[in-house]
Amino acid sequence: MLYPDLQEAFIHLVDQHRGILHKVCRLYCFTEPDRQDLFQEIIVQLWRSYPSFRGDAKFSTWLYRIALNTAISDLRKQHRRITLSDPGSLPVELQDIQYSGEKEEQLQLLYQAINRLTEVERALTMLYLEDKSYQEMEEILGISQNNLRVKMNRIKDKLRKMTKEATYGIGKP
Amino acid sequence: MELENLKSIWKELEAQPTPETDGEQILALLQKKSRGPVARMRRNLIRELLLITVTYIPVILFYLVEFEGRLSAISGLLFLLGLFFCGYYYRKMMLLKKMQCVSCMVRSNLARHVETLKKYTRFYLLAGTLIIPFTAIYVYAILRWKMPHASGLQLYHRLSPAPWWTNSIYWLLLLAPLTIAIYYINAWYINRLYGRHIKKLQELLREMDEE
Repeated sequence: MLYPDLQEAFIHLVDQHRGILHKVCRLYCFTEPDRQDLFQEIIVQLWRSYPSFRGDAKFSTWLYRIALNTAISDLRKQHRRITLSDPGSLPVELQDIQYSGEKEEQLQLLYQAINRLTEVERALTMLYLEDKSYQEMEEILGISQNNLRVKMNRIKDKLRKMTKEATYGIGKP
Repeated sequence: MELENLKSIWKELEAQPTPETDGEQILALLQKKSRGPVARMRRNLIRELLLITVTYIPVILFYLVEFEGRLSAISGLLFLLGLFFCGYYYRKMMLLKKMQCVSCMVRSNLARHVETLKKYTRFYLLAGTLIIPFTAIYVYAILRWKMPHASGLQLYHRLSPAPWWTNSIYWLLLLAPLTIAIYYINAWYINRLYGRHIKKLQELLREMDEE
């Protein structure tokens, strides 16, 4: 080990924020092997960039940038997409969690809706769901706040429509 | 389902335990190589460079030493091509180095990725096309001035009324369509390799910019 202290600090930070990384992987990959691949790639990219992290931005902002950059520009062919129509197709780690019937349904709806968004929209949705301010979203994505507001309104409409469609069967053939 | 509900589901998800990734597992991941597109391109480039080095050096030495040095011009050609390849790989490597800035804002990283990838493919196309006329002209020069005449060739030259430079013109005339054909083959191949990738990145960038 060349830099044990650096490595230890890095592992500690990643461990603290691993929830974010797993969420990014869930949003951008549809199968477990793809999620593992993306998780590995994000860790490798974080580690490579870590020595240049000077703390100008918050650690979480820096982490979001790297995770989203890696997920968005990683254009490898993914394994077959899964459709979240039955509980067995939920992300593996969620299958063991005991959800009530209603919650499970809602979770499926959320994933179904997110799966139908574009890569950029998914990034925005994630930051919205994470309660990030427009200022923080701008720092992560590099999109002006005005443009972010417009996009966010559009995505909210889209999500509303999609979840309504799924709940009430509106718009289904 | 209201959007605020989505938020609460999302938050709940956060509260649930994520798959265990202990320190040892993260440490193991740190030892692994990147499998991202840029890292793979860089590895392929290094493999190509090694292959060229391993095949070129023995051939250069062979033509330098064998045939009492009479074909050392071929060594010169290969050496020049080797220099060309050094410049070619250096430029490509520099472009790959600049291609990504994962800690930059997502939009600027995408813009940089698209711009550098386009430069990379333009250079690939230009270098891949120019190498053909360059090599052909050099080979012609070697054949003309270094190789001994085949039997009967002197007689042919004595009988042929055409001046010596017409042969060179014919060569160049043949070379032009060949170079054009190589250009289109290269363009097709490069598009096959990187076209979809560039298009997808451009779409993402356009989506980020549109209001």
